[in-house]
Amino acid sequence: MKTFAPLLHSYWYLFRGAGMTVLMATTAVVPATLLGALLALAQIFGSRATRSAIVGYIFIIRGIPLLVLLTFVYYLLPLTGVDLPPFWGVVLVLACYYAAFMSEAFRAGILSLPQAQWDAAKSLGMSRRLMLRIVIFPQALRLAAPPFINLCINLIKATSLVSIVGLWELTMASREVVERTLAPFQIFLAAAAMYFCICYALALYGKYLERRVLVGH
Amino acid sequence: MNAESSLATDVTSPRPMLDMSGIVKRFGANEVLRGVSLQVARGETVVVIGPSGSGKTTLLRCVNLLEDYQQGTVAVDGEPVGYVMDRGGQRQRMAEREIAAAREKIGIVFQSYNLFPHMTVLQNIVAAPIRVRGIPRPKAEQRARDLLAMVGLSEKADAYPARLSGGQQQRVAIARALAMDPKIMLFDEVTSALDPELVGEVLAAMQQLARDGMTMIVVTHEMSFARDVADRVVFMDGGVIVEQGAPEEMFASPRTDRVRQFLKRYNDRYRI
Ligand SMILES: Nc1ncnc2c1ncn2[C@@H]1O[C@H](COP(=O)(O)OP(=O)(O)OP(=O)(O)O)[C@@H](O)[C@H]1O
Ligand SMILES: [Mg+2]
Repeated sequence: MKTFAPLLHSYWYLFRGAGMTVLMATTAVVPATLLGALLALAQIFGSRATRSAIVGYIFIIRGIPLLVLLTFVYYLLPLTGVDLPPFWGVVLVLACYYAAFMSEAFRAGILSLPQAQWDAAKSLGMSRRLMLRIVIFPQALRLAAPPFINLCINLIKATSLVSIVGLWELTMASREVVERTLAPFQIFLAAAAMYFCICYALALYGKYLERRVLVGH
Repeated sequence: MNAESSLATDVTSPRPMLDMSGIVKRFGANEVLRGVSLQVARGETVVVIGPSGSGKTTLLRCVNLLEDYQQGTVAVDGEPVGYVMDRGGQRQRMAEREIAAAREKIGIVFQSYNLFPHMTVLQNIVAAPIRVRGIPRPKAEQRARDLLAMVGLSEKADAYPARLSGGQQQRVAIARALAMDPKIMLFDEVTSALDPELVGEVLAAMQQLARDGMTMIVVTHEMSFARDVADRVVFMDGGVIVEQGAPEEMFASPRTDRVRQFLKRYNDRYRI
């Protein structure tokens, strides 16, 4: 216990880092989800050209490590003259990156509904908009919920990479503290515990949501 | 369109409730319907029988354009569904909105019920009347409860479909289709997926409906239903209507060998 005690005030610093991690992740997950939903719909209902463009986009994103993409955009942005604060640059990259995976989760959810559900909705005279809204989406979302929660957890953990482009969050905070205190084990153990708690809380929330929306199944 | 007029039997009307003419349907190179024409009079119950793969399901699905077809036209109560003929005699597909509107008038019940699993029984029934036809919720719910009473499921209004037996789900599906006040009801082997002891309750609901004057096309393997309820039996094979007539005639003295063979094989199997 002695070895942990002198570091108490450092843990407070880590907590603030964890707060930043959560802020960054939640800021990124919203546009990632919206863009993912849009890509999924466009890929299912869009023209041939739209569909191939999206397939290409997902294919490319899937083949690039996030770390490389972050670094690339970090160096690219100033060249294009876009003056984006680093925080928003990172959020943009995270959103675009995870949107690709989320669109796959949403698309799988929509496509795994049996054709019979579409037939039943159509036969009742529903327009496509209406059947999507009240028949397809509610069912597709609950199918897509587990992979979606997984992706959110991935996204949270992925924010640990952004220290490479100089952004301050939990991992960066931990490294700073380690440099001062030379206590890497205690500090990174604490950081790991914080990451774990955030992700586990989200996983629990996901389970709760799943149970709540799974009525009728 | 109100319930009374859509249910009323009007034998004097010369215009058929359903008029399918020259329907040709291909799946790729496979011609599944080879120019099928079928008229169903107001209040008439037509039972369609025929071997597996003869195109019975496809025919029903063409009526409300769940399946697109390459030639022919369909009209319900004189109104085209899906395609109209332009001045040059070319078939033109109607706009999606118009097709959706036309589908409201055509109720269909599927072999696999196809209820919406995330909605309660009541929600399943009122969803389309409220959102598609714009009927006020209290009125739609009242009508839904009346229909549930008719199919003997009053106490299941708030249950989810997964909690119901197959026979109960199928009766909800019938109620859901009826809630749109359709002019015609299509039934595609609605008892085939049911345990034998549940078949009767569904057939009874359909028989009641026929008695109340609904115009119906019923695809079924239940020959006793055909004999007791049908005004006319249509025999399909290989994508064409081979023979049709009154049930007692067709079952007693079929005119074609194909029907005779089909009925014989059927009788051997089920000993009816
Ligand atoms: N979606 C589809 N794609 C390709 N071929 C199809 C499709 N649906 C049906 N068919 C073919 O069309 C033919 C007629 O099928 P249909 O389901 O209409 O027959 P049916 O008379 O209803 O048979 P059953 O008594 O087995 O239900 C069959 O040869 C079938 O293989
Ligand atoms: Mg069939």
